[in-house]
Amino acid sequence: MSEELRVSPIETRGVAGKKRYAMVVDTRRCIGCMACQVACKAEYDTPLGVNRTWVPYKVVGTYPTVKKQFLPRLCNHCDDPPCVRNCPVDATYKVEDGGFVLQRYERCIGCRSCMAACPYNARFMLPAHRTYSSITRVVDKCTFCFHRVTQNLVPACVQTCIGRSRVFGDLNDPTSEVSYLVAKNATQVLRPEEGTKPHVFYIGADRNATEFGRDAYRQPEVMEPERSAFNRHFKI
Amino acid sequence: MGDYVWFHDVSWHASYAIYFFVIGILAGLSFLSYGSWITPALRPLREKAAYLSLALLAIGGLLLIADLSQPLRFLNTLNPMYLSFTSPLAWGALNIVAFGVASVLYILELRKGQDSARGKLLALVTALLALGLPIYTGYDLTVHQSRPVWNTPVMPVLFVALAIASGSAVGSLLSGGNAEAQKVLREYMLWSTAGVGVILVSILGTTNYGGSAQELTFMILTTGTMGMIFVGVGILAGTAAPVAMLFLAHLKQQTTGLMIAALLILLGSAALRYALLMGPQQLQTLY
Repeated sequence: MSEELRVSPIETRGVAGKKRYAMVVDTRRCIGCMACQVACKAEYDTPLGVNRTWVPYKVVGTYPTVKKQFLPRLCNHCDDPPCVRNCPVDATYKVEDGGFVLQRYERCIGCRSCMAACPYNARFMLPAHRTYSSITRVVDKCTFCFHRVTQNLVPACVQTCIGRSRVFGDLNDPTSEVSYLVAKNATQVLRPEEGTKPHVFYIGADRNATEFGRDAYRQPEVMEPERSAFNRHFKI
Repeated sequence: MGDYVWFHDVSWHASYAIYFFVIGILAGLSFLSYGSWITPALRPLREKAAYLSLALLAIGGLLLIADLSQPLRFLNTLNPMYLSFTSPLAWGALNIVAFGVASVLYILELRKGQDSARGKLLALVTALLALGLPIYTGYDLTVHQSRPVWNTPVMPVLFVALAIASGSAVGSLLSGGNAEAQKVLREYMLWSTAGVGVILVSILGTTNYGGSAQELTFMILTTGTMGMIFVGVGILAGTAAPVAMLFLAHLKQQTTGLMIAALLILLGSAALRYALLMGPQQLQTLY
């Protein structure tokens, strides 16, 4: 293990006796069925308008050789998470054994500092009204299904993935499937330049989807209809 | 064509920019109130600046609390069991409270109506704590490593320069026809606004010649409505024009020119704070 790559004391890369859970997403196997998104919604009753995991796609190529490039997204459970550093009240924290980045809902003040810090847009604000839960108006995110993993189950999105595009396991265990996939395949992480050391690895991700392209340039007035539609539905 | 992306709202909205603006003015006014103990020309501003500074603290504090999605939990930021000092917001919360306490003590001392040594000491403590406010707000943006423009070391310096400029501008408006005070304030406004201009040029340079995220953010900041706010109002009308006017007023001793320059500085500093807060957040909304 390349423990010499550890920079911050919070990182658990190659630390003996510590688990480091990671997800490998093989985009070549993703068929865009969105079952992972639905499974996540079902698991957590995530409100309309926000997602813990989502599957955006881009159509790439020139007609007639075009294809959809899916890029399943979720919290990257970074080894060096900027959201943890930026939370003023320790409402977000990293579980040392496992590397889960979790949220203490009862402590969150809703300053959105963690949302601003996250390079992956993985965090969102829960709306003021929810049908089945009293957890409202605090920041939420993917937990890598902490409650399932601690019961020796895999995350709901991994469980439901029909193409076995998503694989979950302990990266510090050299015999795990994720270790094998990361060792044997060329993998990418999102925005590696940020130094967050993400724990979501992609195989075969298209650069059109992982990098900021020219189409990311949108003026605020162009964004405004979307923002106002979002806010109309989503009174916080 | 046919792409599917997910919309993510920006994390911090315009109310935060208003907070930055208010906190900058109150810090600048605190500097002036302390300055009155050293520079006799500013003596007429001492009480006015102190009172207005405390009033703006109340407004800024309420804005900040109202912006939280759990407003009553702002007390968590003062709970020693919860505080996380890796976050500039934690330092900021303590700084605001300390400034508020020092400010009240200073005003109580001022109400005695004497130029006491304790008053001068409290003015110094208040000014030093006020200096922490623009530093922390700038630092609050700087620490976000993935945000172009924000993640530059000059942000706290820019916010301090903006605080001096906007505080001096309000001081100039409060001074009215007091020629002696205006003369000193003109110098403050001129050099702090010129400093803002220099910092903005360096930010624009590193942004335009940065990576793809930086380049795209440069485009967002310099075109369309955001370009009008940032370049038009913030840089040209709010920085370049007042520097030119202050320089001319320096030559011709014009009070009217000073007042117009002060208003332009206030307008520009509000626009700059808005653009610097909102512009760098646009890129990630559809990522």
